Amino acid sequence: MLPFLKIMLRNLLLGPSTDPFPFAPAKTHKNFRGCAEHDPEKCILCGICRHVCAAGAIQIHPSEDGSGMQYLLWHNSCVFCGMCAHYCPTGALTMSDNWHLAHSGAEMFSNCISDFIPFGACAQCGAKIQPRPQTIIDTLGARSPDRFLLCPQCKRQGIVQNVAQARPTRRQENP
Amino acid sequence: MLQLLCKLASRSPWIYRINAGSCNGCDVEMATTALIPRYDVERLGCKYCGSPRHADVVLISGPLTLRVRDKVLRVYNEIPHPKVTVAVGVCPVSGGCFRDGYSVGADIDHYIPLDVIVPGCPPRPQAIMEGILKAVEVWRARLEESVCCHS
Repeated sequence: MLPFLKIMLRNLLLGPSTDPFPFAPAKTHKNFRGCAEHDPEKCILCGICRHVCAAGAIQIHPSEDGSGMQYLLWHNSCVFCGMCAHYCPTGALTMSDNWHLAHSGAEMFSNCISDFIPFGACAQCGAKIQPRPQTIIDTLGARSPDRFLLCPQCKRQGIVQNVAQARPTRRQENP
Repeated sequence: MLQLLCKLASRSPWIYRINAGSCNGCDVEMATTALIPRYDVERLGCKYCGSPRHADVVLISGPLTLRVRDKVLRVYNEIPHPKVTVAVGVCPVSGGCFRDGYSVGADIDHYIPLDVIVPGCPPRPQAIMEGILKAVEVWRARLEESVCCHS
């Protein structure tokens, strides 16, 4: 008898099913992929993010004075696939859970990440090399941290000197 | 009288959707925004309408493919002034992952001025609602402007 009473009572107890979003903050899952975030302190300018970006949202230009690179990520082209964050070797790129990205049409091109990343300097000759933040020294440069801070030319010279010391040439052996 | 009308009218914008060659992801999210009780854009006074002649706020999705370009522009021109355009997803703005494709004409903003942009691929329904609320503000300002011009 009166089966709808049961349904009515249940619905009354369950409360509204509508998300009160514009008047209260919406629930966001902790794994939600929102806009990308870039930490210029950790970036080593390897460019793998630009390489894997499906939408071509990332650009890396040399800056005008030549002292570094300009890193650009346009949110209006990013498709939130998260490949850049997956492949980033230092964790400089992360996907935040921020989805409040609606903006007016006038801000179309300013809605981007624009970071200046200065080059690093070779520990020996001072030549420009990719930046060497501590995170990448701890991972890739763990085997020989001193050598990791050198430019390719200084590295080669160091290798040649080591080899020359270990194996003297025939002329030196038999003068 | 007109000012009272525009105050009342801006509480219930009618929304029209244009699919400019979208992959349907954004369309599904737009339908979700209106139809599913969890999001329910109709409690904000918005209503999806079937005819472009009744529309106030236009939601455009998709990268404007060459095949639908002229049709989209025809439909867009039928919408009465003042109208507010909301780009849903990244495709109308930049083309997203379809950019530089052989069938993608150009960015929509070469043809249609975009007033509000909701980036995402697709944006979540709450983000679309946020964009619609922004568009309603723009629309209210335009209504008041046009009323002032007429009187």
